[in-house]
Amino acid sequence: MVRLPGDNSEPGKLRAALFALLVHAAFLALLVFGLNWKNEVSEMMSVDLWAELPRHPVEPPSSAAKVIPEPVKVKPQPQQKTQPQPQPVIKAAPPPVRKPDIALKDKTEKPQLKEEVKKPEPVKKEVPKKEPTKKPVEKLVPKEEVKKPEPVKKVEQKTEKKEDVRQQAEAQKQAQQREREAAAAKAERARADGEIEKYREMIKAKIRSRIIMPPDLPGNPAVEFTVTLLPGGDVLTVTLRKSSGYTAFDEAVERAIYLAKPLPLPPDPGLFNAFRNLDLKVYYRE
Amino acid sequence: MSQVITQDLSFFHLVSGASLPVQLVMLLLLLASFVSWWFIFRKLFTLRQEIKQTDEFENIFWRGSDLNALYQRAAGARHAVGSMERIFEAGFREFTKYQSGVDIGPIMDSTRGAMRAVYQREMDRLESHLSFLATVGSVSPYVGLFGTVWGIMNAFRELSNVGQATIAHVAPGIAEALIATAMGLFAAIPAVIAYNRYASDTAQLATRYESFIEEVSNVLQRRVAKPRDMANFS
Repeated sequence: MVRLPGDNSEPGKLRAALFALLVHAAFLALLVFGLNWKNEVSEMMSVDLWAELPRHPVEPPSSAAKVIPEPVKVKPQPQQKTQPQPQPVIKAAPPPVRKPDIALKDKTEKPQLKEEVKKPEPVKKEVPKKEPTKKPVEKLVPKEEVKKPEPVKKVEQKTEKKEDVRQQAEAQKQAQQREREAAAAKAERARADGEIEKYREMIKAKIRSRIIMPPDLPGNPAVEFTVTLLPGGDVLTVTLRKSSGYTAFDEAVERAIYLAKPLPLPPDPGLFNAFRNLDLKVYYRE
Repeated sequence: MSQVITQDLSFFHLVSGASLPVQLVMLLLLLASFVSWWFIFRKLFTLRQEIKQTDEFENIFWRGSDLNALYQRAAGARHAVGSMERIFEAGFREFTKYQSGVDIGPIMDSTRGAMRAVYQREMDRLESHLSFLATVGSVSPYVGLFGTVWGIMNAFRELSNVGQATIAHVAPGIAEALIATAMGLFAAIPAVIAYNRYASDTAQLATRYESFIEEVSNVLQRRVAKPRDMANFS
């Protein structure tokens, strides 16, 4: 028989391949985009944000700690101990940059800083020539002026002390060592106090962030609570010590205390005793 | 980096994280799925065209056109000729070879034989690849299942190494294993549907062709008989 040339010609082989590709692309797209492959655990997103950190109690102990270990190498331990503790401050600080919620807080903070920088300007406008060159310098100066004097003085004292130490006898050295130890203990105590104060502020701030304030209370009432804490930061009991006179406000604060748990506690378990029975005073207005 | 705790279960991550046998199974299934879809579309176009051409030719044929003209048309325009037209062409050519008054029996036998041959070839052409679709439809779920079972076996074996077993340890392994089953089903379901559809379409066409062969041979037989009768009269 005559084989007809049209026998093998099938219509749209290429077109069929194209359609097949299309079907698979659609299926793949369905798999990739149609399903929510990533399961985000949203409950774990508890981030404590501190717009303001109590800086003053932290700084002196760190400078004191740096002073001590220079001559005596026996006490590097306090340095090591003090180093990890500032870290929570660093960790807590970065989140504000990412979160839009905090962007508002940052904005409120920035004007304050700007005011500080701008304030000197009107005074220095009397000297208009130096303005362009000085501006960057001036911005740096006020900060350094505040911080620098302390360490400089201490270093000076140090050098004087060193000279004395060389002149004196070994017995005197021992006496000095004792003095240093005492000073170190003092610094340690000051540092602990600063730490306690810092965390007290953090606890207050965290509770405050959870309060749903009842609207329109007259004046600035204050409520006082005694909060019994557990070592993990859990709240055991909350007892009303002094009512503000407005039950709505009292209850709002009490609820906020429970909502705020776990409360931030210093990583050093030795400091927990200061938090076991925590007296809190919360004002209606800050 | 981010503090958001996510379990990375993105599709590509799952596929790339699967063990080699599972990946092979996935590749095989993807290939099978692709080829079966290719055939599905090819067959769709072919059958649609075939049915259209058959309708057209039947229409012309039963309108009572001249058989010689029909034969000329079929033999002349070969590119757009349907199966039915080809069957007719083969039968008529065989028939014209015997015009010089032989017995009616052998003429009709060989004419029918020629049409049968073309019919068989055409049916072969129409049914090609259908067996592949049937194979994919019946086998690929099992292949996918094999991949899944293998993946789950691995997931549980790894689970035995973990002291405290949680569902989070097995979940990714099972998820990646189940992709194989999903792919198997994705390949199988359209293949089965297409196979059933095309098989019935082809069977319909086959009965149409067969009845057409009978009808054409009847028509031709009448054509042979008529001149003979006339000759007997004269």
